[in-house]
Amino acid sequence: MRSSSKVLVTSAVCLLATACTGQSSSSGGDGGGGDGERLVYLVEQLEDADSLSRLEDHLADFTESSGIEVEVQQLDIDTMRTVLQTRLRAEDGPDVISWGSGPSFAGALAEAGLLYDLTDAYEENGWEVYDFAKERVTYDGKVYGIPGEMETVGLFYNTQVLADLGIEPPRTLDDLRAACEAISAAGVVPMAFGDQDAWPGSHLLSMALSSAVGADGMEALLAGEGSWESPEVVDALTFWQEANQNGWLGESPVSIDYDTMTAQYLSGEAAMIPTGSWFINDLAVGADFESGYVPFPAPDGEGVFAAGLGSGPLISANTDDPEGAIELLDFFASEEHGEWSVENLQTIPPRPVDTEGLEIEPLLAQVLDDVSTLSEGGGQLGYNIDVLMPEAFNEAMFDGIQALLTGQSTPAEVAAAMQAASQA
Amino acid sequence: MTAAPAPAAAPTVPGPRRGRRARSGVSEATRRQQARLGVLLVAPAVVLMSVFLVFPVLNAVYYVFVDFDGLDTTPPFVGLDNFTELARDRDMWAAAWNNVIWIVLGTIGPLVLGLAMALLLWGVRRGSTFYRVVFFLPYVLPQVAVGVVWGWIYAPTRGWLNRGLEAVGLGGLARGWLGDPHTALYAVLGTAIWTATGFVFVIVLAALRNVAAELVDAAMLDGASYLQRLRYVVLPQIMPVFLMVTALTLIGGFAVFDIVFVMTGGGPANATEVLGTYAYSNAFQLSRISYGTTLALVVTALAVPVAVWLNRLQRRASTEGLGA
Repeated sequence: MRSSSKVLVTSAVCLLATACTGQSSSSGGDGGGGDGERLVYLVEQLEDADSLSRLEDHLADFTESSGIEVEVQQLDIDTMRTVLQTRLRAEDGPDVISWGSGPSFAGALAEAGLLYDLTDAYEENGWEVYDFAKERVTYDGKVYGIPGEMETVGLFYNTQVLADLGIEPPRTLDDLRAACEAISAAGVVPMAFGDQDAWPGSHLLSMALSSAVGADGMEALLAGEGSWESPEVVDALTFWQEANQNGWLGESPVSIDYDTMTAQYLSGEAAMIPTGSWFINDLAVGADFESGYVPFPAPDGEGVFAAGLGSGPLISANTDDPEGAIELLDFFASEEHGEWSVENLQTIPPRPVDTEGLEIEPLLAQVLDDVSTLSEGGGQLGYNIDVLMPEAFNEAMFDGIQALLTGQSTPAEVAAAMQAASQA
Repeated sequence: MTAAPAPAAAPTVPGPRRGRRARSGVSEATRRQQARLGVLLVAPAVVLMSVFLVFPVLNAVYYVFVDFDGLDTTPPFVGLDNFTELARDRDMWAAAWNNVIWIVLGTIGPLVLGLAMALLLWGVRRGSTFYRVVFFLPYVLPQVAVGVVWGWIYAPTRGWLNRGLEAVGLGGLARGWLGDPHTALYAVLGTAIWTATGFVFVIVLAALRNVAAELVDAAMLDGASYLQRLRYVVLPQIMPVFLMVTALTLIGGFAVFDIVFVMTGGGPANATEVLGTYAYSNAFQLSRISYGTTLALVVTALAVPVAVWLNRLQRRASTEGLGA
């Protein structure tokens, strides 16, 4: 009995010790920078294994030049949203993360003191990004990240379908109405759209409103100086209500998810699709026809692209190796990395890129040139609302646009709900 | 502490060298050793329960009384504010109403269908295993996969449901099932019922196999109709199992989350929001951890009494000699 008791006690102690002990990190550290030779880079789930492989190959170049190994870890966005703060607080958390730049994303982390202040690093390393992009990662006067990629939101169109119907790419809202009527009459869905995921609805508002009120008007709204119940907002929502009621967005768009929406366009079922520049990658892979990309039309003239920042690299305040992490960010801020991301990920770096000599789709080259011109003062860029507003507002906007498209709310009611959420 | 007085006239019994022998014939030393062994045996379970159940529950109770946003390590104490807000939250009541619909239809549907299918296949011997596997399969499939596949079935233009309706001349009923606020909840519920029916079917069929056939035969000889035999002979015998299945299905209705989250995310415009998805959305999308926790605790608090009541009913049915 005594020996069996000892065995039991020993087993219980071992079990307890195992349960209470965290997973030990391997030599070099599972994270937290550890010994300065290895960094953990946490990113949102990449599209496929090939994307991961390309990123790892690219980071191998960094390792070769710096001697710092980078371990890429992935999490799907919902999990990342849930566990990121906990992981950043942990001793073995990631050193560098790729995360959104909006107030609900990097802004919240910066406010909680979870991000490393990069203000000095910007000066020391001479990182060049568009001014407005740098502003988006600046909170309380401190810069916390390098904007990773830019996104514009506008209207893609199938050049062949429009040419066959004798339609020019729409420049005004009336042009768009006429085009939708003609396309519809030809038995083709005018605009592929799906709002089951709720966030695509915000792009409808972002593009229509950016074109209607311009950059200044959007800045006023986003800063709380304008009212979300203003006639311009209501009008922008009313256009989409009209489009839905006329069947220009296809059948029951709220039942359709984003993948089905893009499939409708790629299969030729729809002639246009209102979405963002990230779609160029899908076009390159899945479309056997040529597409054009224009800003969403304004009520009385040519519109502007709504622009936003996607995820970008940020450094954890708890990293044990800030120098190594800054070196990695320096790599991400380089022109070479910008060109690599254009060629391999079809993304738009937030810095000027010389497209000559790059192996990229003509449409992407056009977008890069447009963005470069617009960002450097050659015109206006609007704003993609959901990356800049708090989640409570976004939820009101997402729900409101779904309610608009299902006939549960009027444009004025949706606008009022957004205004209330903006002041909450 | 005072020592317990020794029995005044306890007979002296020759015992082992140390300690006295208890009435059961087991010495006190052995009893102490057994007690220690017992403690050691349950210790791992107690530790695991404490770490993974008691501590999280206590932690959740703590969060209910503070305003934690997931970032602030010292959240302010807010007392009962979360409960006050909850009581006034119209979206919460809308979600709770959807839960009520879910609990009622999501419990009755699988029970009725599962029982009916089990009764149909009760006397069937040939191919019985095949039917059980086929009908049980939806229950063991991952809810995410089920949700995705049924999403395709409900799709407005290419979905099989609308195509089927058009094929039989009911094209007027075709619609975007998951995008229409009037049908979305019932469409998701239909999927959930399809999933749960197989579970009820298998359990009830197993219970029916143990029903005393001679009682059914006797009732038949006495002239009892099919429904009378079912009501007075069969159902009482399978009642404990039936109540157990009812309890599991009903509690599932309180805690429903995954299938709704996958198929609609609570939309369109909150039309399919249930307390589970509403709690998730508050906790992890709006970073209102405390409010989300309060909602989750309320769901638990609502489910527990129902579970206890059904458990008592089941035990009573068992002790009354009923049961398969």
